[in-house]
This record gives sequence, C-alpha cells and structure tokens, in this order.
Amino acid sequence: MARTLAMFTDTSLCIGCRACQVACKQWNELGLEVPEWTGGYQNHAHFTDKTFRLVRFIEEPGAKPNGDLAWLLMSDVCKHCAQAGCLDACPTGAIYRTEYGTVNINQDVCNGCRYCVSSCPFGVVAFNESTGTAKKCTFCNDRIHNGLGPACAKACPTESIQFGFRDELVAKAGKRVEALKGMGFKDAQLYGADTGGFLGGLNAFFLLLSKPSVYNLPDNPKLPQRNVVVDSLLSIGSALVVGLGVLLSFRERGKGGPHRDA
Amino acid sequence: MLKPPHWEMMIVWYFFLGGIAGGAYFTAAIADNFGSARDRGVARVGYLLSLPLVALCGLLLVADLGVPTRFMNMMRVFKFSDPMSLGAWAVGVFGLFTFVSSVLSLSSSPSHAALRRKIGFVGIFFGFFLASYTGVLLSNSALPFWRDARLMGALFLASGASTGIAAITLIMFATGQATGDGWHKLKRADHVSMIIELVLLVALIGLLGAAAKPLISGHFAPLFWGGLVGVGLVVPFVLDFVAHRTRAVGALAAALILVGGFVLRYVVLMSIQA
Repeated sequence: MARTLAMFTDTSLCIGCRACQVACKQWNELGLEVPEWTGGYQNHAHFTDKTFRLVRFIEEPGAKPNGDLAWLLMSDVCKHCAQAGCLDACPTGAIYRTEYGTVNINQDVCNGCRYCVSSCPFGVVAFNESTGTAKKCTFCNDRIHNGLGPACAKACPTESIQFGFRDELVAKAGKRVEALKGMGFKDAQLYGADTGGFLGGLNAFFLLLSKPSVYNLPDNPKLPQRNVVVDSLLSIGSALVVGLGVLLSFRERGKGGPHRDA
Repeated sequence: MLKPPHWEMMIVWYFFLGGIAGGAYFTAAIADNFGSARDRGVARVGYLLSLPLVALCGLLLVADLGVPTRFMNMMRVFKFSDPMSLGAWAVGVFGLFTFVSSVLSLSSSPSHAALRRKIGFVGIFFGFFLASYTGVLLSNSALPFWRDARLMGALFLASGASTGIAAITLIMFATGQATGDGWHKLKRADHVSMIIELVLLVALIGLLGAAAKPLISGHFAPLFWGGLVGVGLVVPFVLDFVAHRTRAVGALAAALILVGGFVLRYVVLMSIQA
C-alpha cells in the first residue's frame, strides 16, 4: 500500500464560498438538483447522490461578544474512514479501499442493495435512482491516480481544504489547533485525526471550532458491524430454545426417544 | 442526517415470507426427525410450503435491487461477517434444501424417507438462519433503533417459527388434515414459539429503552400495540384457550398470528424509514 493520502479540512479558514462544492459537481459531472429551502444559506441540507462536497452554514445566534449572530462554516465530505461501515456492509465487493487508503464505490459492480446507505455513520452514501447504484465522494480517484489533488482541495481559495500525505497533514493540523487555542478559540479541536480514535481515524479529517455535535457530527461514531457476533449468538440462543420447544411439542410423550417408522 | 436505505414493501414481504419459509422448514424437519409417523403430514406440508416461498423471496430480493440484472454480483464475494453477504448465499443454499426435501417428501419409499430426514436435519440450520439473519442485518446498521436492537435476530427467529407453524396449521385446516393428535402438536409448538416471541419482544423493548420510541410511542405505535401485540399475539392465545376444540377457531388464530408476523416486519422496517 502506498503512503496514505488524506484531506484535511480546516474549518477555521472556510469563508463559505462553496468553490469546493461547485468544483466537485463539475469535475465529477454530478448534475443538477433542485435547491431546497433549508431556512439558511446552506444548500443542500444533506449529502445526496449528486452532492459529495457540502458546505455547512451553522448559525449561532448571539455567540459573538457583541451579541451578534456567529457563523460556523464547514466544508463536509465523505470521511474515508479507516474502518468503513459502508465497505464492511457491501456484499458485492463494489466498495473497496484504494492503495492510498481512500474508500471508493466501483459503479460497474454495485447492484444497488443499499446496505451501505444504512451503514454509514455519517449519512454520506446515497442511492441514485437513475443508475440504480450507491454514490459518494470518490476522493477524485481519477485525479489522485494522475498526480492531481481532489478538485475540491484544488479549488479552495483559502486552503481550508488541504490535500497531502496523511502523517504530514496530521502534524500540520496539530500545530494549527495549538495556534488557534493561543488565539482564544478554546474549543478548537481535531475530528478524526487520531488513528487510535474512533473508526481507526478518518482519512478526511477536520479541524472544528466547536464540539462535533454543533456541526451535526456524531461525537463518537461507531462501526455499525461491531455487534454482529453478539447479535448472532443471541439468535443462535433463540434458535436453540425455539428448536427445543418445537422438538418437545412433536416428540411422542412417554416414549423417551425419537420414534422412527421406517 | 443518517440515511435510510429505502427498504420498503418488497423487503417487508421478503422478511415476512422468509421468516415463514425458514420457520415452516425447520418445523417440518424437526417433526420429520423427532415426531411420529403421523407427523409426516406436517413435515410434507412444511417442506412443500417452504419451496415456493423461498423462490418468491429470491424474486423479491432481486426485484428490489437498484440494478436487478447484477444480482449475481452478490456471488462474487463471501463475507463471513456481513449479514447481507451471508444472507444472499443462504437464500440460495436454503432454496436447494427446500427443493430436495420437497421432492423427497412426495416419495413413500423408506430409503427416501431416511435420506429426507438426514437432509432435513442439516437444513434445520439454514431454516434458522433465514428466519433470523434479517434481524441481525438491521441491528448491524448505523440507524438508530435498528442498531440498538440486540435481540432483533432472536425475535425474528421466534416470529419465523410462530408464523411458519401458523402457515402449516392453516394449510392443514384448509386441506382437511386438521385431525387428532397432529393438530394439537402443531398448536402446542405454535404456543411455545409465541411465548418465546413475547418474552423476546419484552426483553427487546426493555433493552432498547429510549431507542424503542419509533416502535412503542411513535406514529406506528397503534399498529405495533394493536396489530402485533393485540391481534398477532394476545388474541390468538385467547382464541386457542377458550375454543381449543374448535378447528375453525384454531385456524382463525393461526391467520391472526400471520397478520402479527407481517405487522412486526412492517413496523420494524417502516417506523424509521417512513
């Protein structure tokens, strides 16, 4: 495996221009969607089968020292989890991990069972009705295999989205958090940078200025498949009890053992 | 923020019919292996019922895919820890068991009967699997309520047994085989399954705590309490208790158990997707 690539989204630098969202649409030919009323500047409300990069506009009324509305801006994307629920769920092998550590859906193999949709802890993977397949950010798989960064990172005018080797970006991100804390952003924190943390670390990780929940991110996302052994054992237990119940119901009373007629 | 997979009516039917197919098969195989000669009718009905049902299950699963022509892509991989992958394989393998058992159940030769029992004995495992894996599949997703329901597979298994036995009961009644001892054995087996189902249901809801909300107090609560707990579990028990000598009442109870089994799959799937 090649050295792991990553995207580091530093939300403290995001100005909400949505150049990333547009660049993603254009490079990946994602096509038109009817915008929806979300009650704010954000559009769309969620990731869709045609929106892989999404700038979140989070309003915090009265959060500024003078009582004004404060903005938190965050360009959100598929996290390319080191332990990816979608990948574990995929029964066709269409979802695979690339040599760079990113997670991709092979559109020629996916048969549209949609288990990955329900297995993403971030609500990223979406089903496309016209192709009948699951869609999500490809980490611009075509671009990174030709020495280019993802379109979103390339288009970002403030370097809020940075692309590079994961270890280098994590080191850089750590320094940035310390700098921001020194500037008074006491809640500045990294999300998904730690490979010893949740989901084995995210290959698209973030610097947030507030708690994850403020950004509609789960505080401690878990791998959906973590209970498969326990749940299976409980089912086996149920099978033994039910099976025994049915067996005793059919067994001839007073005859001690199975009665064979042949 | 999390996305539902839009597994709707076709999957509700699949979960329901798959449960019946699995339940009817393992009941048939248990009756065949551990019952008496008089239980052979139950075994035959169970085997012959599971065959068309599992075929229908396969069709429902394929039709629900985004690209049905690619259904064979499920056979590219075998992922032991993935309920969807194992399930796809199990439907196929279980289908073979139901076919062979059905064919052998039509023969009266003793050597065929011995073979049928052996095959049925192994097939019990696949019947159990088909009836329960759908619950484990849901409980290993990222969606609230599903992901919290540790006993979903166990509950689906018990429900597969109660509905599978109810379906056999109804067919026995409709074909005039509802006679004597065999009928009471079927009823007894169904009651045992329903008691286990009820215990698991209570445990499931207890363990879910606040996560049980979509089921017990949301928009689907009337259907859950009325359709599953009332019509599907309590009323059949009462009917069988007060009129256990009347075959028609027993058949009605069996029909209500089937309604309850359908409602269970419906509320579990739709309550967080609708």
